[in-house]
Amino acid sequence: MVIESEKKTINRLKSMHPLRAKVNETYLKSVEAIQAGKPAVWGMLNFYYGDPILKAMDIEVVYPENYGAIAAAMGVAQQYLERADAEGFPTHLCGYSLTTLGYASRMMKELNGQIPPEAPLGGMPKPLFLMSSAAICDARYKWFQSLGRYMNVPVWPLEAPIPGIKEFSIEGYDKMVKLGVKHLRDFVAFVEEMVGRKMDWDKLDRTVDLMLEVNRVWHEVNELRKARPCPMHSRDFWSAMPAALFLAGDLEDSLKLYRDMYDEVKKRVDNRVGAVDHEKYRMVFAELPPWHSLAFFNKLAERGWNFVIESFGYHPPIPIDLSKVGDPLERITRFSLQFLVGYYEDARKQNVTGGTSAYPYLKYAREWRCDGALLHPLITCRSASTHLPYVADMLMERLKVPSLSIEGDIVDLRLFNPEEALARAEPFEESMEHYRKVRIREGFDW
Amino acid sequence: MTEKNRGLSRAREIYSNRSQRVKELRAAGKKIIGYPCVYVPLEMLTALDLIPYQTCGDMREQVTEADRALPGSFCPVMRSCLDCALKNKNDFLDGMVTIHSCDPQEKTARVWESYANYPYFHFIDMPITVRPEALEYFKGQLDDFRKTLEAFTGRKLSPDKLEAAVKSHNRQRVLVRELYELTKPSPPRISGTEAVQILKALTSLPVLEGNDLLAETISEVKSRRDVPGQKAARLLIWSSTLDDVDVMQVLEDKANVVMNESCGGIRAYRAAVKFTSNPLEGLADYYLKEITCARTFRQTTLGETAKDYATDLQSRFGYLKSVVKQWSINGAILLLVRYCDPFAFEMPSLRDYFDSLGVPSTYIEYNYTAGALAPLKTRVEAFLETIS
Repeated sequence: MVIESEKKTINRLKSMHPLRAKVNETYLKSVEAIQAGKPAVWGMLNFYYGDPILKAMDIEVVYPENYGAIAAAMGVAQQYLERADAEGFPTHLCGYSLTTLGYASRMMKELNGQIPPEAPLGGMPKPLFLMSSAAICDARYKWFQSLGRYMNVPVWPLEAPIPGIKEFSIEGYDKMVKLGVKHLRDFVAFVEEMVGRKMDWDKLDRTVDLMLEVNRVWHEVNELRKARPCPMHSRDFWSAMPAALFLAGDLEDSLKLYRDMYDEVKKRVDNRVGAVDHEKYRMVFAELPPWHSLAFFNKLAERGWNFVIESFGYHPPIPIDLSKVGDPLERITRFSLQFLVGYYEDARKQNVTGGTSAYPYLKYAREWRCDGALLHPLITCRSASTHLPYVADMLMERLKVPSLSIEGDIVDLRLFNPEEALARAEPFEESMEHYRKVRIREGFDW
Repeated sequence: MTEKNRGLSRAREIYSNRSQRVKELRAAGKKIIGYPCVYVPLEMLTALDLIPYQTCGDMREQVTEADRALPGSFCPVMRSCLDCALKNKNDFLDGMVTIHSCDPQEKTARVWESYANYPYFHFIDMPITVRPEALEYFKGQLDDFRKTLEAFTGRKLSPDKLEAAVKSHNRQRVLVRELYELTKPSPPRISGTEAVQILKALTSLPVLEGNDLLAETISEVKSRRDVPGQKAARLLIWSSTLDDVDVMQVLEDKANVVMNESCGGIRAYRAAVKFTSNPLEGLADYYLKEITCARTFRQTTLGETAKDYATDLQSRFGYLKSVVKQWSINGAILLLVRYCDPFAFEMPSLRDYFDSLGVPSTYIEYNYTAGALAPLKTRVEAFLETIS
């Protein structure tokens, strides 16, 4: 079901639009550049480990997981899913991976390496190599390994250590940095050999600095959202994030756009302008949104639901001072590690050892003063779903914040039923009202 | 010790009541440490006089308690493991060691630590590649593990003790390989079900007791007269874990399962830990490189800049070629536990590899419940008909 006539109930940021436009622009520029002979790489979301290196080497990167979402939203994913099924891949695998595998099968087996004509946004051309990642889930490296069935292209799997929160205190950080720096140095050598050019280390240095600054400003934007009423809705976050998370487009330009966004959000804070007219419930959203049904949030906004924080995996790392770290590869490593371990010290203090992906939601709900959590478990994305029951349990136990869980999927759009979800909104509001009183009674300040 | 509680009979008894021995040992003052996965270096526990005990799921037990912590669309084996723990079925444990061998292990470890209250709990991170820097990092993780064990026991892990433990566990690996030699004849001298019982019994005994059990069993099997009957096919089962006799009995109802290529079978016993000046190096090398689980990213050459599918398959599955030849395998079942991503991604490629060896194969999925056995039986029978 598609929600009809999108009402402008969410006060969208003007500064979001040019950041949102960077996604399509980057795709189209990549396709043009690739058609003009530039090498293309298929990359996995890697939480900064590999992207600045490819960017400094002037290599075009396309992200099959993003492309899977686009293919699903534009209604062409189904044929790729069916094809992957026929090839023998189990249907419960990550929907994005199945879309890519079906796409690669069609491109290589049927079209002799040509981009399928039905492929949206110009399609993904055959890559020079694949950059996979161990971060967050097994699919990120097994999926690209499986592509070897269709394309004889090399794969570089980027390591991404995930120590335990408690164990991290055991001198582990330096060892992780050592692994990361050596690993990235070898990755640079690999890329140099693949493209037949040497790394411009000065350019990498500048690229890394820009990446850090873009993400710092982006972090500050999100800090402003702690204000009441919250000046920026999750929909603006999701629209604006790719330039920071994937380093999409020109980084100088991105930095300017995020600064513009900071100014606009700050102005709203100063003038007590909210993203929703009458903010009644401050909400945290986990994890991946229903990309195909985002208008659903407008209906909730009409009820006063303001989504003030969201999607831990898409948020910039908590900033750290890397100004004294000279080696750009070490700065990349420390910044990438920060994505997870930036939360560890706080988590230890709170005695929450149960999950690198789960703890941030406790912090979010506490610091952004949330009344409720909307959880979106996805049938074929276990990495974005596994921790959600635990998140719900912890939010209630620690903060008396209730959760509403609405199932969906990343490519099977039929699984998310916005009407049914909306029907559950009203009773959930009663729950939020109840726990608001409980929190006050128990000494919380919201 | 009577004949009744020796060898195969004893293995059956331990399989049916796995925790009995560790409870006795605990009553005698030993500390019992649980582990869910074969990647945990048991040698380090043994060297400190701790008793390793593999925490398993129970496919006959309906998952109820784990629902509060893990979603339904998640590795059912780990869901079941956690469920058993939350129902206090492992209340004799003094601690747990978990490892990042796969995403479900890592995710389950986090919630397990939060909900269960053991005096000791440790999580070992594990890289996905076998690159030198990954090996170095993993060695550091094992060193951190050592420190926490020393703090927990109040004893130093001496190189001598660790080397002795490595010898004992290597001996176990040799004996398990010797046991599997007994499935080479036609008919095999031991059934797949019996092998599961023996190997699962090992995971609930101190290593030396396990070695005694193996030695007794091998001796008994070598001289037994009541060998399993010869059946229509000699099967290899490739799976993440196959440690339940009910599943194995379905598989070998009309075939001889002569190779259990899973973590409930030979996978953790195929190679040996090398002796190195720093024993942790040998352990890191073995556990990262030698266990042939789908979780590890393998390449023909590290950092390869050119790729060929056939040689890639060889680097990932080449160890199976000699198994097929030596065990005269004429059919392979790729048994997938639903939602096991590392193994699920391998299915088409592994079938390609078996095709290249001329071995018919099929992929069957089940959800690790007793209710899955009947459909599993139908699928197995259909496969056997196609290859007969």
